[in-house]
Amino acid sequence: MTNKVLKWLAWSILVAILAAYPRIFGLYYTNLFVTFAIFALFSVSFNLLLGYTGLLSFGHAMFFGAGGYGTALALKHIPGLPLLPAVFMGLLTGVVLALMLCPLVVRVSGTAFAMLHLAFGELMHVLALKLRSITGGEDGIGGFPIPPLNIPGVLSIDMKSPENFYYFALVCLGVSLWVLWFFTKTPFGQIQIGVRDNSTRIDYLGFKVPQTKAVVYVVSAAFAGVAGSIYALFQNLISSSSLNVLTSFAPITITMVGGVGSFFGPVFGAAIFQIIEELTSRYTEQVELVMGLIMILVIMFAPMGFAGMINLLKQKWVSSRAARIDSKEPS
Amino acid sequence: MDPKTAMYIAQGIHGLAYGMILFLIASGLNIIFGMMGILNLAHASFFMLSAYFSYQFLFMTGNFWAALLLAPLTTAFFGILVERFLLRKVHALGHMAELILTIGVSLVVLAAVKIFWGTESLPVKIPPILEGLISIAGMDYPVYRLFVIGLALAVLAAMALLLYKTRLGKIVRAAVSDADMVAALGINTPLVFMLVFGIGTWLAGVAGVAIAPILTVFPGLSDQVGMDAFVVVVTGGLGSLSGAFVVAIIFGLLSSYGVQFFSQLAPVLMFLFMAIVLAIKPTGLFGERE
Repeated sequence: MTNKVLKWLAWSILVAILAAYPRIFGLYYTNLFVTFAIFALFSVSFNLLLGYTGLLSFGHAMFFGAGGYGTALALKHIPGLPLLPAVFMGLLTGVVLALMLCPLVVRVSGTAFAMLHLAFGELMHVLALKLRSITGGEDGIGGFPIPPLNIPGVLSIDMKSPENFYYFALVCLGVSLWVLWFFTKTPFGQIQIGVRDNSTRIDYLGFKVPQTKAVVYVVSAAFAGVAGSIYALFQNLISSSSLNVLTSFAPITITMVGGVGSFFGPVFGAAIFQIIEELTSRYTEQVELVMGLIMILVIMFAPMGFAGMINLLKQKWVSSRAARIDSKEPS
Repeated sequence: MDPKTAMYIAQGIHGLAYGMILFLIASGLNIIFGMMGILNLAHASFFMLSAYFSYQFLFMTGNFWAALLLAPLTTAFFGILVERFLLRKVHALGHMAELILTIGVSLVVLAAVKIFWGTESLPVKIPPILEGLISIAGMDYPVYRLFVIGLALAVLAAMALLLYKTRLGKIVRAAVSDADMVAALGINTPLVFMLVFGIGTWLAGVAGVAIAPILTVFPGLSDQVGMDAFVVVVTGGLGSLSGAFVVAIIFGLLSSYGVQFFSQLAPVLMFLFMAIVLAIKPTGLFGERE
C-alpha cells in the first residue's frame, strides 16, 4: 500500500469516527467534544502568534470574548440574523479590535508585548463589567435567539439540537484549521517564522516586520473571534468571565502542553486538557492542583509538549527500524 | 483643619502604604528578574502564602512580631526549594518554560492554600500598639499604615546596604551584569542565584505579612495585589529598582485617589497608565533591557 493511500485511509477513518461520534458516545460527550473543538481553535489561533511569530500574549482572551460578545449582541439586536453572518460578526469584532490595537502593539515584542496585552485584556474585562447597559455586567448576555443554519432553497438545520450543533462546530473548526494550516504554508508564513527567528535579518531582506506582525495579529484575532463566537452560540451565553486572565492563560498552557513548535500541538493539548479536566473533576475537586502539577511535570520532563514527544518516539522508531534493516543485510 | 483636607491626607497615607507594599513585592520580583532573567509569575503566590503563614503563626503563637519574623522566612524557604528543585532544571529551556513552570507553581500554591485554609477570608489581628490613630501636628494618622510605610523603608534601607556595602552585594551586582563572567571568576553562581531567589521571596513574604491585617487573607489575594505588582515592575522597567519605587508610589496614590474621584474607572487606571508608558517606551519608565 502506498503512502498516499494510507493517508487517505487514515483521513477517511478519522472523518467516519467524528461523524459517528455523537451516536456512539451520547449527548454528554458530544458537548464535551464541542468544548474541546472551541478551545482547540482558540489555542491554534494563539499558537499562530506564539509558535509561529514568537509573540507571547497574556491577553488573547480579549479577542475570544470580543467574538462572543459580537455574535451575542448581533443576534440580540438584529432580528432574523442568519447563523453564518452571526459567526462572521464575531470574526469581524475580533478583527476590528485587533486593528485598533495594531499600530501600538506591533512595534514592541517580548515582555512588553505580553504585558501590554495583559493591560488591554484587563481593560476589556473591566469595560465588559462596567458597561452594564450593553454587556450586562457580570451576568453577561444570555438567552439570545439561535437561528437555524439556512442555505436558501436547499436546507435548514435546527441548531438547537446538540447533535446538529456538534456537526456545525466540527465543520467550523475543520475549515478554520485548514485555512490556518494553509496560511502557515504560504511564503508569507515563512516570513512569519523568519520574524520569530531573526527579525533584524528579515528587515534587511526587505520585508516589513511590523506590517507582517500586524497581518498575523489580525488573522490570529479573527480566528480567536470565531472560537469565541461558537462558544457564545454553544452556551447561549457570553459573560465577562470569558475575558478574564484565566481565559487568557488557557491557550498558553494548552499550547505548551501540546507542543509549541507544531501546528497541531495545540489541538492535542486541548484534547489532553479536556480529558484531564473531565477525569479529575469526576474524582476530585482539585482541578487547579492537577493542572498545576501537570504543567510542572510537562515542563520538567517533556518540555516540547505532546507533539515533541510523538516526534521523539517516531524518530526512535525510525532509527531502530533502520538499525534492524542494517543488521539483516549480509555484511 | 477642615475635614476635606484631612480626608485627602488620609487617602494619601493609604495610597502610600499600598504603594510601599507594592514596592516590596515588586522589588523582590525585580531582583529575581535582574539577576536571573526570570519573570517569576509565582511571586504573587509566595506573597499570598506568606499572608497565610502569618495567620497561622499568629494563631499558634499569638504574637504578631513572631509572625512578622517567621512567615517571610518560611516563605523564603519554600522559594528556595522551588528554585533549587524546579526552576534550575528548566533554566536551559528558555524563558517560555520558566513562565509556564511558575504559572504551574502558582496554581499548585493556590490549590494548596485552599486545601489547608479553606476559601473564606481569614482576619489577622494587629497588636494593640499598632491599632488606632496617632495625632501629629493636629492631624490623625492610622498607626498601622505609618508602620507599614516605615517597615518598607527599613527593608529598603537594609537591602540597599546589603547590595552596595557588602561583598555579597558586590557579587550579586556583578552577576546581574554578567553572570557567566562571575562564574568564570570562581564564584558559585548557582548558590548566589538560590540566595537571591530566597531574598526575593522573602521580600514578597514581608509584603504578605504587612498586607494581611489590611485586606484580610483570602485565596484571591495573589490575583488582586500580585497583578498590580507585575504592572508596577513592567511599567517601571524590568530590573530597575528606582523605577519600581517611583511607579509603586504613583500606583498606590492612583488607586486610593482613583477610587475617590473616578470610582468607575479606578480598576483600569493603572492599566491605562501602563499602556501609555509602554506605548511610548516599551522598556518601561527606567528600564534598559527588554
